[in-house]
Amino acid sequence: MSLKPLSPQDWESLIDDFQHGGSRRHKWSSTPSLLDLALSSILKKDFPLKIQLIIFLEEFSDSFLDFDEHFLERLVDTLKIIIQSPTDNLFITMSLKDQMLVSTTSIFISTIHQFNIIIVESLVEFLLILINRPNHGPDRQTRGVACECLRELERSHPCLLSHIAGHLWSLCQNERTHVTQSYMLLFTWVIHNIVVHNVNVSILNTSVPLVPFNVPQSLLLSDGCSSTSNGSNNYNYKELRRAMAFLLESPQVLTACGMVEFMAVIIPIAVALELQASMLKVQFFGMVYSYDPMLCHVVLKLYLSFFDAFDGQEGEIARRLMLISKEAQSFLVFRLLALHWLLGLNQSVLSSKGDKKKKKPMAFDSMGLSFYPNVFDPLALKALKLDLLALCMESLKSKSDSEVGNSVEKVFEDGIVSVSAYKWLPPRSTETAVAFRAFHKFLIGGSSHFDTDPSTTTTIMESTIFHSLQGMLLDMMLECQKLVPVIVAFVDRLLGCQKHCWLGERLLQTFDENLLPKVVMDYKLASCFPLFDRIAENDTIPPSRLLELLIKFMVFLVEKHGPDTGLKSWSKGSKVLGVCRTMLMHHHSSRLFLRLSRLLAFTCLYFPDLEVRDNARIYLRMLICVPGKKLRDMLNLGDQLLGISPSPLSNSIFNIQSPRTSHNIKKSRNISSYVHLDRVEPLLVKQSWSLSLSTLGVDSNKPGYLEGIRDSESPVEEREIDGSAEIHIPETETISQPQEPLRVMDSKISEILGTLRSYFSSIPDYRHMQGIKVRISCTLRFESEPFNREWGVDSPASGLDRVDALPAIYATVLNFSSSAPYGSLPSYHIPFLLGEPPKNDYDSHQQVPLDIVLVENGNVEEEIVRAPVMIELEPREPTPGLIDVSIVTNTENGHIIRARLHSIPIGIEDMFLMATVPSDIPKEVIPGYYSDLFSALWEACGSSSNTGRETFPLKGGKGVAAISGTQSVKLLEVPSTSLIQATERYLAPFVVSVIGEPLVNLVKDGGIIRDIIWKDVASDSSLVDTTSVASLDRGPLHLTYFDDEDERDSVVSTSKRNMGCFLILIFLPPRFHLLFQMEVCDVSTLVRIRTDHWPCLAYIDDYLEALFLA
Amino acid sequence: MSGSGGGCSIRAIWILNSIDAVVFSRRFPVVEKRWRTACRSENEKVTENSLSYSVFSLFPSDSELAAAFVERKQREGSARGFGIRVSQSSVGSDSWVDDPITRHIIGLYINKEEEGDNNLLWPLILHIKDESLSSLLLDLPSITGAFMVAHAIGDIVAGDAVEPEVLVSASPSVGGLLDSLTGSIGISGISSRAKPVAAPVASSIPSSTAVTGAVAVDAPKIGSRPLDKDALRTFISSSMPFGTPLDLSYSNISAIKVNGFSSSDLPPADLKQPAWKPYLYKGKQRMLFTIHETVHAAMYDRDEIPDNISVSGQINCRAELEGLPDVSFPLTGLNAAHVEVLSFHPCAQVSERGVDKQAVMFSPPLGNFILLRYQASCGHGPPIKGFYQLSMVSEDKGAFLFKLCLMEGYKSPLTMEFCTVSMPFPRRRVVSFDGTPSIGTVSTTEHSVEWKIVSSGRGLSGKSIEATFPGTVNFAPWQTQRLPSSRSFLGSIADEDSDVETENSNNMVNMEEFIMEKLINDLPPVDLEEPFCWQAYNYAKVSFKIAGASLSGMSVDPKSVSIYPAVKASVEFSTQVTSGDYILWNTLSKCPSAAAEKV
Repeated sequence: MSLKPLSPQDWESLIDDFQHGGSRRHKWSSTPSLLDLALSSILKKDFPLKIQLIIFLEEFSDSFLDFDEHFLERLVDTLKIIIQSPTDNLFITMSLKDQMLVSTTSIFISTIHQFNIIIVESLVEFLLILINRPNHGPDRQTRGVACECLRELERSHPCLLSHIAGHLWSLCQNERTHVTQSYMLLFTWVIHNIVVHNVNVSILNTSVPLVPFNVPQSLLLSDGCSSTSNGSNNYNYKELRRAMAFLLESPQVLTACGMVEFMAVIIPIAVALELQASMLKVQFFGMVYSYDPMLCHVVLKLYLSFFDAFDGQEGEIARRLMLISKEAQSFLVFRLLALHWLLGLNQSVLSSKGDKKKKKPMAFDSMGLSFYPNVFDPLALKALKLDLLALCMESLKSKSDSEVGNSVEKVFEDGIVSVSAYKWLPPRSTETAVAFRAFHKFLIGGSSHFDTDPSTTTTIMESTIFHSLQGMLLDMMLECQKLVPVIVAFVDRLLGCQKHCWLGERLLQTFDENLLPKVVMDYKLASCFPLFDRIAENDTIPPSRLLELLIKFMVFLVEKHGPDTGLKSWSKGSKVLGVCRTMLMHHHSSRLFLRLSRLLAFTCLYFPDLEVRDNARIYLRMLICVPGKKLRDMLNLGDQLLGISPSPLSNSIFNIQSPRTSHNIKKSRNISSYVHLDRVEPLLVKQSWSLSLSTLGVDSNKPGYLEGIRDSESPVEEREIDGSAEIHIPETETISQPQEPLRVMDSKISEILGTLRSYFSSIPDYRHMQGIKVRISCTLRFESEPFNREWGVDSPASGLDRVDALPAIYATVLNFSSSAPYGSLPSYHIPFLLGEPPKNDYDSHQQVPLDIVLVENGNVEEEIVRAPVMIELEPREPTPGLIDVSIVTNTENGHIIRARLHSIPIGIEDMFLMATVPSDIPKEVIPGYYSDLFSALWEACGSSSNTGRETFPLKGGKGVAAISGTQSVKLLEVPSTSLIQATERYLAPFVVSVIGEPLVNLVKDGGIIRDIIWKDVASDSSLVDTTSVASLDRGPLHLTYFDDEDERDSVVSTSKRNMGCFLILIFLPPRFHLLFQMEVCDVSTLVRIRTDHWPCLAYIDDYLEALFLA
Repeated sequence: MSGSGGGCSIRAIWILNSIDAVVFSRRFPVVEKRWRTACRSENEKVTENSLSYSVFSLFPSDSELAAAFVERKQREGSARGFGIRVSQSSVGSDSWVDDPITRHIIGLYINKEEEGDNNLLWPLILHIKDESLSSLLLDLPSITGAFMVAHAIGDIVAGDAVEPEVLVSASPSVGGLLDSLTGSIGISGISSRAKPVAAPVASSIPSSTAVTGAVAVDAPKIGSRPLDKDALRTFISSSMPFGTPLDLSYSNISAIKVNGFSSSDLPPADLKQPAWKPYLYKGKQRMLFTIHETVHAAMYDRDEIPDNISVSGQINCRAELEGLPDVSFPLTGLNAAHVEVLSFHPCAQVSERGVDKQAVMFSPPLGNFILLRYQASCGHGPPIKGFYQLSMVSEDKGAFLFKLCLMEGYKSPLTMEFCTVSMPFPRRRVVSFDGTPSIGTVSTTEHSVEWKIVSSGRGLSGKSIEATFPGTVNFAPWQTQRLPSSRSFLGSIADEDSDVETENSNNMVNMEEFIMEKLINDLPPVDLEEPFCWQAYNYAKVSFKIAGASLSGMSVDPKSVSIYPAVKASVEFSTQVTSGDYILWNTLSKCPSAAAEKV
């Protein structure tokens, strides 16, 4: 391997790269033998970068591959060559020599642990030779440096030089040039190590020659210096005291830095030798009056080591430190340090035990008031002085209780004067920061964060300062709203601290009690919102006061709203909602419910801004639907998603919560087994229809069947309406209207027609407007256990609050579809639904004796575990059918569930509606109207109807309806009582009239059927005949013979006890009717049925049987 | 570790320039080794106590340090940091500690590429032992020492290593950002930045400079000259060869470097030559004393706030004496001068202070040195009395009135060499002014009006004068100032409550208050090194120079100076008084104040 020398430029960039670090350093790792190259470069006569290279070796030599023992040997050789070459002040300078000494020693010290310590001998010997020429003139600086090198070696290898301590002492005594400091420090260190490591050597003995130097045996054996562990002192006490006396003789020759080193070594010796501390004090205490901070610090170190010796001088030291802080000439950092020392002294004295405890605070409050900041003190200094004032105040407080209250407050106020500009400067000003920092310090006073004494907080709460500060902050907020955020930050700081969060809470409580009633109701109130937010967050504060205020503010906003306040209303309104949201997150809903729902409802209704209204609606909905903990979780989640901080934590949360559509078909298919949508009222004829409609085959047939029927009936309408253009429609009507008077009919028929005309004109035509709707009430619920199993929602198993442990689904959408002609089916939305608790759990729960809570809980559950669902149909034809249900919902852990649920059967009875009443009919004549309508329709649907060809315009005037009646009869062999019961239960709303005294008496007493026309038979004869009554009269006599010959027996038997007759009018959407005339006898009832929609008869049969015979 | 930690050792020094690049670095492997040993033992101790702290023992390279520094700058808002806890402070940052000293002692998180985690370079371990920052600082001479080193190096970098002048004041030290990371055994790195605070003798910097410079404080410039790395290297090698400072006197070190020693430099025969005096003086013997005083005053002219005048003074000295003599003289009249603080040069032996006098004995070093410093009140009464009133007649026009009395009660030989009053308007542009003073001349600059009452060359001696100056000043229309982008985070705060503020302005009745409100609303926060937000106030600043005697009454009687061993040497004495912050607060407006101190 050839050693190609590097140019100075190469070395320069190498040094740069090493210092820069990282990859730039690595690129040199392949260059071989860099150390050899470096040493030869240093020896080269005209190499310009010698010092740099030496320093470089010092800093980095151990990071080279070829660093080994031999390098150290070569290094010492190089050192010797350089030191011994004559100084030419160009290439070989004194600085170079000094640097070479220092760096060589430094390399040895930092790497020698890798090798045998014996290797250091040659270096030490060389250094000893160098220093062994006291007072020699020209090389004095080099001798001093050599002393420093030896000192560092002694320091890193204690007792290395202890056996030649005698020589060192005499050198030290002889040296009189300015490097005597280095000799002294070297000797001091040697003494220090002898004392600390308890070595038995004589420091007067110079029998061991200085050179040749041998590493002491003890160092060779063990790694360190062998200190005997028997506890007794091996060292020669007397000799060492003499040495100490010598060392303490002339400390004034030391520089300030030298003094720091000196004292650091002297103090442990003095402690070990049990020297009289007062000696040290006399010698060194004067340094406290120096303006050199290092000397002051030395005195403090001395003081800390020898408390007792300084008895009575604490005050002097404290005073001095205080005065240093006043020295305008000093650098700021030293003035700050002085105050810190003072604080530190106070703490260390307080923390030291025993009787000393009393003295310090005494010294403290004698000068406490001189800590008032000066007007020209830098703010940093003001801040620290205020800290000290706060501390002084503590001692003031402990002094006496009577007149203190006043003076404490005074100290506080006077202290704050220096930063009082915070009251009017922008809140971000440094003055504000310093002032609030001071408030904090004053408030917490002496209670540090470290002591575990719980009573302190209480003491603070009762303190004067706490009360006056509370008052101050209150006034501040009322006068100067822009400080509110600062005050909030102040409270936050207290709240954020485990020890002082009570204080923060207490402050918030005070604000809640005293600020809220005083605030002025105007737009500026918005500046207080950060504070309201904190109050809202705190569940120790009842939310009522704040809510009342917010309601007032909302009212204010609504009242003040005008054309130019749009933006303001929006922003303030949003802020109010923000506070509401915070409340929702931190309080139990029950606490908030009343007022908050009022506030939100008011906002929904009256607030001028749409977005605010919308948000209020959302919150209101959530408040009502979602139970406490789930609600808080949801709101929290929103927070995290909104949070800007892209910390890895929130990232992962985001990932978990991002919506995941589940494509697990198996899972989705199972859903219908534990998510149930049920009818509230089960169908009477459920079974039969589930049989015929449950398979697709029938389903597909059915429409065809219905279609066929419609064809025959509906074309009339369709032709007339759809076929004609809009212009023709009025013509049709104008034509049909003049036709009427031309037609020959009797007055009765025309009366019927009139009734029907006015009636039909109130039926909406579904093709042009919203048709008549049928509403099916259902409930949605799901079972918790299977749900959790499937979707892996691990709700926290909190045994206490069971509701919180149940799973929930959010934002559920139910979509309906049907093959039956039900028009468009709107989907239904359920914001929140809780799973049903497992049955056994529920039971055990009920047994828990805490009734009040449970009842409340139970109610909440009932509301929440079953969601009411309303399916709205707009039938085109009154026919039973099936409604298919599909669900889309979200689980708590972000799954989206899409699945089909069981279908909902629709029966014919769902189609039963009350006939519409034209709007011009007064309420009190409605029963009569129904009765008339029944007669008219009965007549019109009769087989011999004269109205067969008539058409009746529907509402909206575009469509017309024709009546094409059919009739049928059904005999029900049921006792009258059960018939009446069933009628009352299922058909009561549709009964328009009851005829016949026995029946009337029975039904009227029941009270279920009301507001209809009652006709007893007695009055019947006196009446001018109506169709219905006539037929009633005739009924038993004639109809039995002609219409129902097969069932004559039964009819005959029933006819004997004819009780009366129900007249029932049922409207079938979109425009059809079903009329029953039920002739009630004791054991059977004959139902005469007429309808203008004959297909419905097919279902009616089943229905009646189910209704009455089942 | 406290056994060996009593001293002061520096682990490394870094110097960064204004673009946050390391321009110089120096590591001390010996200290580093001690540090690692200490870390190891401390970490072992920690695992015993099952505490989850561990000490970061690895050492950052220059690039890592620079990166950490930049990161910290972003975290702390500026190179110095916030110093106290503000809304931007994050947990674990320096400002979270909530102590102004953290503007001087900072923490850096070194991000080691290989390890991929953050490592704090700060005395973490001592936090476990100590309850508070204060006791920590008390326990660490290293920090104090590091500041001394930092200041010394800072002066060298800035080229300001100037001895205190005996007759004229030293030039102010400006600029020069120094970042050094220091440490000793038992302490992790402590970085300190020697912000060259205006040197005490140089407090004649007009405060208007401080006002305009307030924003730029964190953009320090390295001196116009390139960094003299060789000088720095030599200084470091000589002053702290192994990282432990031995002597920080730049003059001594450079003298030794330049001159060396010859065999003719003989040590004194019977005395040890102090380490701080490597050479002994030879030649004509004499002693020079100069008292420099700087007067700070806050003049309110209000009943409820008393005026506040204080004098910071120092006695500079040069002793051209052969051998190693002791010099002593008594300081008298201390009580009359209300001398509060007395701090001495390390060479002085200080005896107990008497009631009214104190004997000073010292063994003078070579060259000029500050023998002692003091704080006093003004024995003569304020040299300039009176009031300044400024009232805004409209948004852009102010009417002002000065009524001053100079040198009232001052007798010869007190001479006022010059006196200038300036009204700074750092945030407004002066368009014109109108008015004539009863004495002196007036000139304007873009941001101030200067009134020369006594111009140099026509000193005022032995009599007092009255001066009045009524006038008006017109400003360019007010424009809302954009905050510098570095402070944009503050801007966002301002935006948030903007709607509140606009409302405020509507119901502002008082014109002055309205203008005031407008002016202060976009004031940037000042640094903690400032006494208050200068720009928020209206004031006039007086600059003057008085010769003849000190204002405090402090003096050195040349006849009472005694030298031992006795030699024949002349003793000369001079004084010079300059103004520091001598402020006349606008009587009609807000002013900063402080509660009167009670001793």
